Amino acid sequence: MFTVNTTLMLVATFLPVLGALVLLLVPKDQRRVFEVGSLLIMIASLLLSLPFWFGYDRASDAVQWAGAWSWIPALGVKFSVGMDGISLLLWLLTTFIGPIAIACSFSAILERHKEYYIWMLVLQTAMLGVFITQDMFLFYLFWEVMLVPMYFLIAIWGGPQKLYAAIKLFLYTLAGSVLMLVALLAIYFLQHQTTGVYDFSLASFQAMAPVIAQQSKSYQTLMALAFFVGFAIKVPMFPFHTWLPDAHVQAPTAGSVILAAILLKMGTYGFVRFLLPIMPTATKDLMPWFLGLSLIGIIYGALVAMIQKDMKKLVAYSSVSHLGLCMLGLFALNPYGIKGGLFQMLNHGISTSGLFLAVGIVYERRHTRMIADFGGLSKSMPIFATIFMIMTMSSIGLPLLNGFIGEGVILMGAFQAFPWAAVVATLGIILGAAYMLWMFQRVMFGPITEVNEKMEDLNLREILYFAPLVIAAFWIGLYPGPIMDVMDAPVRKLVEQVSPGFHAAQDLAAKQAAAAKLGMKGMTAPAAHHDSDPTGHEAAPAAHGAPAHGGGH
Amino acid sequence: MNGFSQGLLDALLRDTHLILPQLFLMTVATLMLWPGDLMFSRAEKHKWAPITLLVLAITAVLVTRTTEGEGFSRMFRMDGLTRGFPMLCVLGSAGAVALSERLLDSLKQQTVEYYALILFSLSGMLFLCGASDLISIYFSVELMAICIYILVAYLRDRATSVEAGMKYFLLGAFSSGILVYGISLLYGAAGGVTTNLADLNQALALTPKSSSLLVFSGVLMVLVGMGFKVAAVPFHMWSPDAYEGAPTPITTLMATAPKAAGLAAILRVFGTGFHGVSSDWVLPLSYIAGASMILGNIAAVNQDSMKRLLAYSSIAHVGYMLLGVLSGDPRAGAQAVWLYMAIYIVMNTGAFAVVIYLQGQGEGERIEDFKGLGRKRPVLAFAMMVFLLSLAGIPPLVGFFGKFYLFKLAIEQGYVTLTVLALLTSAVSAYYYLGVVSQMYFREPEGEAIPMGGTSVFIVTLACILILVGTAFGPWLLDLAGKVFLA
Repeated sequence: MFTVNTTLMLVATFLPVLGALVLLLVPKDQRRVFEVGSLLIMIASLLLSLPFWFGYDRASDAVQWAGAWSWIPALGVKFSVGMDGISLLLWLLTTFIGPIAIACSFSAILERHKEYYIWMLVLQTAMLGVFITQDMFLFYLFWEVMLVPMYFLIAIWGGPQKLYAAIKLFLYTLAGSVLMLVALLAIYFLQHQTTGVYDFSLASFQAMAPVIAQQSKSYQTLMALAFFVGFAIKVPMFPFHTWLPDAHVQAPTAGSVILAAILLKMGTYGFVRFLLPIMPTATKDLMPWFLGLSLIGIIYGALVAMIQKDMKKLVAYSSVSHLGLCMLGLFALNPYGIKGGLFQMLNHGISTSGLFLAVGIVYERRHTRMIADFGGLSKSMPIFATIFMIMTMSSIGLPLLNGFIGEGVILMGAFQAFPWAAVVATLGIILGAAYMLWMFQRVMFGPITEVNEKMEDLNLREILYFAPLVIAAFWIGLYPGPIMDVMDAPVRKLVEQVSPGFHAAQDLAAKQAAAAKLGMKGMTAPAAHHDSDPTGHEAAPAAHGAPAHGGGH
Repeated sequence: MNGFSQGLLDALLRDTHLILPQLFLMTVATLMLWPGDLMFSRAEKHKWAPITLLVLAITAVLVTRTTEGEGFSRMFRMDGLTRGFPMLCVLGSAGAVALSERLLDSLKQQTVEYYALILFSLSGMLFLCGASDLISIYFSVELMAICIYILVAYLRDRATSVEAGMKYFLLGAFSSGILVYGISLLYGAAGGVTTNLADLNQALALTPKSSSLLVFSGVLMVLVGMGFKVAAVPFHMWSPDAYEGAPTPITTLMATAPKAAGLAAILRVFGTGFHGVSSDWVLPLSYIAGASMILGNIAAVNQDSMKRLLAYSSIAHVGYMLLGVLSGDPRAGAQAVWLYMAIYIVMNTGAFAVVIYLQGQGEGERIEDFKGLGRKRPVLAFAMMVFLLSLAGIPPLVGFFGKFYLFKLAIEQGYVTLTVLALLTSAVSAYYYLGVVSQMYFREPEGEAIPMGGTSVFIVTLACILILVGTAFGPWLLDLAGKVFLA
């Protein structure tokens, strides 16, 4: 039924929830058992997931480790799993963030430990499930299940406004996803009308793209909007973002980390996996709107972040801005843009997690997050200041760190598709540098007060959970090639699904450019050298479907 | 004995097997009133509860063994359309009876009549599930409803209970009048020869254009009458008051069994009888369904009484189920409604069981009473959370599968706007269900933790297990629903 690898993938995915069932039996005053137990479970899940990074066949764009099990035959629902490069990256990001989120909770969670760690483990499985499913019904199931643990995490262990924030998160996301469900069902029946079979598999939905493209304009628009709203709420894109600051500010640190690193990625993942390949025509028709909202998100998020007095709120709004940039990359619909968007999703997961953790550190020590309450922390907390700086730099895209690569590739893609949009996005990046550095300056430098002078630097546990993030930030920044390679084939396939013939046209253009270069060289060898070189340089990476570390150079 | 009466007798004997469960129920209930009542002394009357449960179990067996067929001059018909519904009525009644024992004990109100009335009412519901003639529908509705009027006002020394009974009775009688008037109009419009649903379907299609208004008002009045019985908006006004005033087990009963029977009748009437004149009722019914979803869910948001909250939520659930009636394919609609109803009965009975358990401790009526329940009574609170989230249709709980199946059908039949409305209002419903959850888990309790005990716990646990198992096997439930109806 399932191969060994598929089974291992399922074990890694469901291990957290199985562990939660075991922890359920432990009496609730055993605080240590829950902390260490859930940490070990998360690490085990991480270790199980790592071999998949090495085992992934980078040359193929097929869904790998696929396995399917008939579940509701009457409806054509299968328990169908598998991953391609895009899912793999996000799946690994999830298993990577899991132990960190647990480790940062040890000192932050002071009551109801049993429930807390059980909810965290359940949440982990639900998130991992979203990335491995290859069936729309199953996807919807996991997608919704995620909400319940998140609701409890915020509503029990959150800040003063926790109930409001939790219900807002819940209702916003639920409203979006029920619209998505309607669209799913509509496509499902359309498929039945055209092919005569009931099938919920992702592949069959993607195969419906040409049929959907032939439907009436209003049908297509409504379908695309239903998907768009569902995912845009999760991302969150500009007019649907209002739940995010509330949820982030009220959530416990681990909740914010997971929210920023994984949950928001569900939205972007939804765009990549569902909206773009299933409804490419409608997406292109609505592109001016989508693009506009992404750009507004970039600028608006940055401007609002600039004036925040609360560090956590500042980071939350910076997420709106950064995710807007990811969306801009995805909507460029070319290999650079999509790869950059995906890449930036990983980066955002790493750097924003780091920033939320950093805010959590100062909050645990001072019980305030107001920027004005701090200053000169670099004197009392040198290690913390260093790590905070690395995360800040990673977030604003300093070369050698991960953020730089992502932003660079996105801008390359965006410039190919919509040059003016790339210019606006650059403005957002500059603003991003401004608000992050300004916050850093106000918190870390300047005169130090007596209270802040007594703040303790990071302890070993805290250094240990920051370490993987710092290492990842440098590693990805210095050596982004392998990650780009993993995305290569699936992105190529996606671009082909969205714009059939895209690569053929690119190859042709590259050949023509090369021929022109040769011809020019032949005719006016020395004089034309300077002009032809840049054009040749640009066309060359695109010709190979860009295995580019391009932005890094 | 002349030929006519001989023939009648033969026909009756031949058809009796169709209504064995009803006959059994009526016989037992009558015997319970006399001489059964003499069996137990006043202090022992609580023993009637287990006996009634036993009777219901036997009824359930009889229901499963009844065959399909038509009889009694085509007044009664058991076929694939409503075949699954009698079982749901038995299930709902059994839940109510099981919950009654302790509550009535604590109120010192045990009587045999209480249980006998439930049985009589159930026999009315079973008749209603199979009624295939407007006349038999009418008398089944009355048999079912009159028993419940009495049960609602059962706590006759409580003003709220009497008021609820009175209100329910007046509005119920009024709606029965409308129903009967609608039936008479249709009888006239169809040429004054038949009230049989299958015949009406043909006769109504042949009516001249001049009497189209007659047909329309007749169909509309039947719709209004039936709408009252299942408490669909705008004919829902009685239900929150009746739910609040009635003894809670009777509230449980009202929210489950009669709704199942009523929906079976609606499915039958509109699926077969008025199928040909669907243009007359599809639009009004879809307005009724939409209004029920909107009003039910929005009005539930601001309640502070748990029973009223559940009353409004049940209005909304009826709204969802009416989507199944709207489906152009009556059998698929019946299947989806049946599945939803089955799941709904379990969830709802479970939620009421929690309320009743708390009532036994002198609380539970108000949503505030749930404050800190997660600390005080973790098992109970967990069960309640499962019921509420399932009612809200959050996957992977079993309630989601019911909704999914229903909404899938509605979209298939082209009711996209209504389905979007249903889904959005069910997102609203998450708000008030989670409101209760947040009382239970996010508020500090007053007083100490209290260990569990008592019979309601059994129901709570049972229903909770059912939901969790149903969740694990939810997908197979869908297949099961198919099998029940296509067998």
